[in-house]
Amino acid sequence: MSSSPDRRDFLVHTAGGLAASLFTPSLALARPTIRAGAPLKLGVVGVGRHGRAILGELATIPECAVTAVCDTDDSRLQSALRRAQGAKGFASIAELLDKAPDVEALVIATPTHQHREVALAALAAGKHLYLETPLAHTIEDLQALSEAARRSTRTVAAAFHGRANPVYSLARSFFRAGALRELATLRAQNHKKTSWRTAGSTPEREREANWQLDPAVSLGLIGELGAQQFDVFHWFLSKHPVSARARGDLRLHKDGREVPDTVACELTFEDGLVLDWSGTLANSYEGRFELFQGAMAAIKLAWTHGWMFKEGDAPTAGWEVYANRQQFHNDSGITLIADATKLAAQGKLQDGVGLPYTSLYYSLADFVKCATEKAAPACSLSDAARTSAVAILAHQALRTRSEVAIDPKLLEAL
Amino acid sequence: MHERLATAAMGTRFELVLEARDAAHARAAGEAALEEIERCDARWSVFRSDSLLSRVNREALAHDVALDSVTFELLEACLRFQQATQGAFDIAVGARMREFRSGALSPATERCGAFELDAARRSVRFTRAGTSLDLGAIAKGEALERAAEALRDAGVERALLHGGTSSVLALGAPSGASGWRVQLADFDADRAEVALCDRALSVSATHGRTLRVGERELGHVLDPHSGAALAPQARCAVLGPSARENEAWSTAALVLLARGLDPRELAPAHLEVRAMHAPTDPTRAHSAPTVPPRAHDALREPLCPTPR
Repeated sequence: MSSSPDRRDFLVHTAGGLAASLFTPSLALARPTIRAGAPLKLGVVGVGRHGRAILGELATIPECAVTAVCDTDDSRLQSALRRAQGAKGFASIAELLDKAPDVEALVIATPTHQHREVALAALAAGKHLYLETPLAHTIEDLQALSEAARRSTRTVAAAFHGRANPVYSLARSFFRAGALRELATLRAQNHKKTSWRTAGSTPEREREANWQLDPAVSLGLIGELGAQQFDVFHWFLSKHPVSARARGDLRLHKDGREVPDTVACELTFEDGLVLDWSGTLANSYEGRFELFQGAMAAIKLAWTHGWMFKEGDAPTAGWEVYANRQQFHNDSGITLIADATKLAAQGKLQDGVGLPYTSLYYSLADFVKCATEKAAPACSLSDAARTSAVAILAHQALRTRSEVAIDPKLLEAL
Repeated sequence: MHERLATAAMGTRFELVLEARDAAHARAAGEAALEEIERCDARWSVFRSDSLLSRVNREALAHDVALDSVTFELLEACLRFQQATQGAFDIAVGARMREFRSGALSPATERCGAFELDAARRSVRFTRAGTSLDLGAIAKGEALERAAEALRDAGVERALLHGGTSSVLALGAPSGASGWRVQLADFDADRAEVALCDRALSVSATHGRTLRVGERELGHVLDPHSGAALAPQARCAVLGPSARENEAWSTAALVLLARGLDPRELAPAHLEVRAMHAPTDPTRAHSAPTVPPRAHDALREPLCPTPR
């Protein structure tokens, strides 16, 4: 094509009904536009490895300022304070709420089993809340959190990142428009070779830091890794599974732990559709992805990128002529690019552009925007509670080595 | 208990060898260190569209871009190094480096780019059109320092870390030894081995990656003042307490040499510009080690850095 406007016109006017509807959604490739004003004063509670990653992302969002950091471990707290210049440090949520009343919003990244206590205190104090996922390790805690969130007039968001990710939003618009037709299989994995241990300067600190390996409180790989991906399927399908089965084993890290390092989980939906999920800490091949396979196409999502693989007999839309493609062994995938029309207008559709920000950034920026503008977040606590409940019950299936029913009424009440 | 771990980041292989109280502790501490390196890669890679540096390069000409504290401090240090080296070290050479990597280096004309920092807003803004930042080797040095900090936080006191073998950082010394033995290839025999203890070493050379333009062989180090690629003739090693600072000075030293200056006259006293070597036989420089980094048993044989 000789000029960008011509190409854009071509995309708008010649794409078929499906393609036209796919490119129509208003998808923001750029960061969310947040209303100007005084920066939102934020506190971050729990500054282990993930909490520090959150601090790094928050520092690049000018519409917020981290003014308080909280952790029960002083070495973690001091390390976080070096990253959050100007913030005050606190050893407990009670101390933070008492001594830093000007903090407007809290990001909770404590261990999962401590979410309930911290989040309820934050909501009772009238703070906006961003809660890490899974939300809790028991159904009782989920019910308490849901009830408190319903009573709150503040923004209460949860950290299932797919819902704020522009590539996932674009893929969902394809999916909801029926591009895959009859669904056949759903598959996802999170594979990474790692011990999943946290080192501590002393054996005592190390025990406390490795709560994920404590079977009394940990939801294991299914909860801590799988839930993030289960939520993508729940969001795309607008439904939840009705039963769960799982099996797990220690394949590599035979260091005295009980929590399996390799897990396979099967979530069955009411119509018989099955989501197969696997997680392992023994091998990194293909990393983390979600895969939807239908009669006309498959969609593969991998957080910063997404692809569509079309069947030979699938209808071809005009825009596909210009789409970027990637080869995966025998299959050619069309790269799903948010803001495709805009990029086409700039002549960049074939460049294979990935996300300009991290998935975590989009999720946090959405929270800051919604807390500032008093809007509904991309992932509500209610949505996250339902997915967390599925993870808790799937983990129960792993521990009992039996099929566990997932009661729709239980999820509905959350 | 010794543990060895490695990861691929910043286009090279990072490795570490560490001593810890038991195998589980060693593994967990080493993984925390590698995660820091991977996090640095995610922040500063010019090859990832979602990295913070890519965001800066896309947007900083149009408006201020907010930075995390680690990146801001690194850019502040880069400006200090730029001043101290009389502009021989400058990260605003990203556009020229892109040209070099693509094999299409346009004629050098003027200084590559410019940026300024706003400490109050902790942000960066480009002050010249066409500016693009490329942290290059200094990112490797910074990543090693972050990784060493993660090891110290985890209670590890003895470790050797390297990135692509050209940047090496020692935490303490191996049990029963005065330092981690590191061998400098192609340097004079009496300076061919050093023992590192709580020190870092950076080795730079212009011949690591080269580009042929007509009859001329050009190295991958550019003079930021002119944008010109240097001829592949020089190498140098810098020892000092900071891997980050060593990287800046070992790169700058090559540029200063090409300008006919002695980098030892500019370098701060706490740095040891241990060896510089300009081979008279150009074929030797071209055939200098460019083999992929290999695993080393730093406890039994010295690490042999490959100049960048």
